[in-house]
Amino acid sequence: MTKLVTLSEAVASIPSGSHVSLSGFAITRCNMAFAREVIRQQINHLTVSQCVGAMDADLLVGAGAVDRIIYGGGSLDRFGRLACVNRGIEDGSLQAEEYSSLSIAFRYLAGALGLPFIPIRSLRGSDLLRRLEERSPGDVAMIEDPFTHETWLALKPLLPDVAVVQVQVADAQGNAWIRGPRWDNTEQARASRRTIVLAEQIVEGEVIRQDPERTVIPGLLVSHVVELPFGAHPTSVYGVYDYDARAIEGYVKATREPQGIRAYLEEYVFGLKDHPAYLDKIGGQARLADLAADPVLGY
Amino acid sequence: MGLDYSPSELMAVAGAREIRNGEVVAVGLGLPVVASFLAKLTHAPDMTILFELGVIDPEPRDSGVGLADPRVWYRARVLSSFVDILGAVLHKGRVDVGFLGGLETDMYGNLNTSLVGDPHGEFRHMVGSGGANDIASCAQRTIIIMRHEARKLRQTISFVTSPGFVTGGDSRRQAGLPGGPSRVITDKAIFGFDPESRKMTIVSIHPGNTVDDVVGTMGFAPLVPARVPFTDPPEASQLKMIRETIDPERMYMG
Repeated sequence: MTKLVTLSEAVASIPSGSHVSLSGFAITRCNMAFAREVIRQQINHLTVSQCVGAMDADLLVGAGAVDRIIYGGGSLDRFGRLACVNRGIEDGSLQAEEYSSLSIAFRYLAGALGLPFIPIRSLRGSDLLRRLEERSPGDVAMIEDPFTHETWLALKPLLPDVAVVQVQVADAQGNAWIRGPRWDNTEQARASRRTIVLAEQIVEGEVIRQDPERTVIPGLLVSHVVELPFGAHPTSVYGVYDYDARAIEGYVKATREPQGIRAYLEEYVFGLKDHPAYLDKIGGQARLADLAADPVLGY
Repeated sequence: MGLDYSPSELMAVAGAREIRNGEVVAVGLGLPVVASFLAKLTHAPDMTILFELGVIDPEPRDSGVGLADPRVWYRARVLSSFVDILGAVLHKGRVDVGFLGGLETDMYGNLNTSLVGDPHGEFRHMVGSGGANDIASCAQRTIIIMRHEARKLRQTISFVTSPGFVTGGDSRRQAGLPGGPSRVITDKAIFGFDPESRKMTIVSIHPGNTVDDVVGTMGFAPLVPARVPFTDPPEASQLKMIRETIDPERMYMG
């Protein structure tokens, strides 16, 4: 059965108030076209989670679509801070539950395995834990190892409503390949109730069957598949295209002041009908050809 | 005689010297990247470099803007995941050295990368942890590289993102954490930690500085041993490696 739908249809399957796990890491494989469509459809009151806060989360927060973020800190690498996320934390408009990257990954892993909790060495002795104990007492607890009687920190599993994962290749059933590092994506998809796969390229199921050890997300986890070339622009997709430094710098400049995001959203989201219109806007085929990755280098 | 070198270059060289051949090193953003590749390309060819997101043993040809830049993943032997690297290598106890930068530290080597005060008394939220808390918590030892300024080397930091020796003495072990910081490398000096009190103590000062310069530009008083040696300056071959191979575009050395 094909699960292929348009981006608009896939996004419309997400009710406001959902917990969405995003596949981006700083400025790579971010769900950018997805975030722009969520904003266009005015889906809001979202909880978003990811191991490292990325540009997809920042744009959604900047647009006011997010009430709560569960993450391990993050940035746009050398391009700058997550201005919208940080501003939301500073002015109190965004509820942030801040962990380390591994503790988020472990919470997804516990969710993926159906475990009731997972012990971890990280966070102890830090103000991250002190703050979680104050603000999220239901998610962290000190427990005794039943075998050695040592004290451990236990974390509650993360169980997102939907994982949204930008991949290089998938078939119409959602069997997906991720090339390059996968950070928390494997566990995100497995911990979530369902997964939306956004693929740079859709291939025949027979192509997947020829090379099944490359499949990172099995189709059985997937509810919708979208063919979405350049869906991560202006962030990179390893082996397919590089990040667009000029466009990321434009975003950083626009989000430096609190009001800047409004004009950015007008220009790149509300003012454009859909993702193809966005790709025309940022320079069309000529610009995209400049960003195409060298097959050996991967960028 | 004497070579011309920048404070950043000396910091990178001093960091590289802390790594022994064969060690497994988890590397954070910025100068730690330069120091680690310098060690790998000089005295520690058998060390293993890890990046938290799932990268083992890369050989970058171009400088990257950060860990999310595929330039720094180039020619890796393994591309996997957080659970594979920070979990099955770091959390398991297989990382010898964690190599971190920071915005602020205190006399126990606790690191703040979360909340930084501005001159108006407001707090700005910064990058947070990423894998830094995990690395500081689980590595056998941690090396910290940061600028030597009173506002960065503070009596009290605003937020402990990544624990060092917590409140000193036995407090880190009581928190269930192995290891701890072994060195703090600044642009004026190298520090270690007293084995009992766990307070920061001067190991050496960089050529051109005095003990008074070093202590007078810190927000707390480190322990000062009776005899303070000078840090060995970089060798010509190390500077050449940094300038021509590791960071020719001066992305890190600025």
